[in-house]
Amino acid sequence: MNSVAVLTERMVRNTLRNDLPFAVLAPAGNFVIFNLALRNVIDTGGIGYPQYLLPVIIVQVTLIGALTTVDRAARDHQSELGIRLRTLPISLLAPLTARMLYCLIRGIIALLATIAAGYAFGFRMLGGFGHLIAFILLVLTLTLALSLAADATGVRVSSASIGMTGGSSQILLVPQMILVMLSTGMAPVESFPEWLHGFVRYQPVSQVTDTLRGLAVGNVAVGSLASSLAWCLGLLVLFGAVAVRMQRRTQ
Amino acid sequence: MTANPPLRTSLVSESLVFAGQHFTHWRRNPVVPIQSVVFPTFLLIIYYLLVGKSVMRITGTDSLYGLVPTCAIAGAFSGALAVGLTLSFERDTGLLSRLWALPVSRASALTGRLIAEAARTLVSTAVITAVGIGLGLRFRGGLIELILYLLIPVMVVLVFAMAVIAVAVRAKDGTVLIWLGLPAITAVFASSGSPPIESLPSWMWPLLRLQPMEPIVESMRRLSQGELPWWPLLWGVIWTIAGAAVVGPLAVRGYRAAAESGGIRG
Repeated sequence: MNSVAVLTERMVRNTLRNDLPFAVLAPAGNFVIFNLALRNVIDTGGIGYPQYLLPVIIVQVTLIGALTTVDRAARDHQSELGIRLRTLPISLLAPLTARMLYCLIRGIIALLATIAAGYAFGFRMLGGFGHLIAFILLVLTLTLALSLAADATGVRVSSASIGMTGGSSQILLVPQMILVMLSTGMAPVESFPEWLHGFVRYQPVSQVTDTLRGLAVGNVAVGSLASSLAWCLGLLVLFGAVAVRMQRRTQ
Repeated sequence: MTANPPLRTSLVSESLVFAGQHFTHWRRNPVVPIQSVVFPTFLLIIYYLLVGKSVMRITGTDSLYGLVPTCAIAGAFSGALAVGLTLSFERDTGLLSRLWALPVSRASALTGRLIAEAARTLVSTAVITAVGIGLGLRFRGGLIELILYLLIPVMVVLVFAMAVIAVAVRAKDGTVLIWLGLPAITAVFASSGSPPIESLPSWMWPLLRLQPMEPIVESMRRLSQGELPWWPLLWGVIWTIAGAAVVGPLAVRGYRAAAESGGIRG
């Protein structure tokens, strides 16, 4: 356990200073820009747009944060120190665990920044304490699942030239954009063209933002909560298994 | 009676060699093509799917005519930022200094860089416009309007690339560029291109009309509708020249200092 603590401290000291402005400003900036650009354009039917928008900004920031995890894992795994760590008498999973703890710390900071920006523009947490806890836990589960996926991707590409130059995270920007912007997190399903409705309605970002929006006002449908939990836990188990397997790869 | 008189080349041919160096670099490491072509193209398609129907409902006009220029310029900016990300690295490894020591015109490394940026932007604007036409844009202007339409982003990106160079050669690493990129791309999106201006708070209107990206996007929008927009175009050119007058000397001076530094190890 000690090695994990040391490696986490190293991650935090090494990375957080460069990473912190992005972790804080990306959510605040995205929230302000989308809120200004869309609040009088999208018809959300009754709820104010800040209240409607905030969950998808949290998901977007989690996805963008995961993209930085891809590059960090690729560099960390392939660096001389990364290779040296695999010869030490510590668990092979210790570097991975440290990276994931760092992702959770970063996720909590980003979540606080998003909610702070949201409050300035009229978002309110209207649910009780239980709803708040469920909201936070759902976000952190999603953060962990996506970070594991990102880590596995980073380790997988770390020996290829694209992993060293940071190109892999750039390519993943496009799927991220599709998932976030073509979801009911940005606009109700009627705003999209007819032929897209099936995708927009059932894709995971729509499901999760729907649940988070419900939790924020303290009124969540059981079906919505169940499907979001199923998505998050399913991704967590799947990518957790993949990421753990990846650590065994030898070059 | 010299055995080998030094080969005489012109500034233009030397610049083209340097531009070719960038093209090779971008072909091998696709971050720049992704940022300048793939990213804005998808941004256009996705954003149009997201707001197209809603903007049509509110204003009765097709938002595509504003979105295509918005995405073209946003893509040109993000491409220039991606180029700038490696500049501090090239300075630290001494590459800039080595190029500086070559027996060519001192200006050619910089002019070559700008030529490469211009060519890249011309291609990406053409691709994005073609995708826009696929989505339903009807370019109503003639040949002159089309040429102006494709050249406006090139003009803008030259100034932006100089700003990126001015910042990147002085910065410790590439992360500082985000402070240049974020406001610039926000300004592009806050012009008449994407949201109908009436949907924004009224205290922002004067700011939106005064910012440099507004006349640029407005010119392109009107050109695609078949008009020759003299006033916005003139404003756009004045902004561009003023911008170049400020960042041009900063870029040249910063580049010279970086190139003469000899890199971090030397």
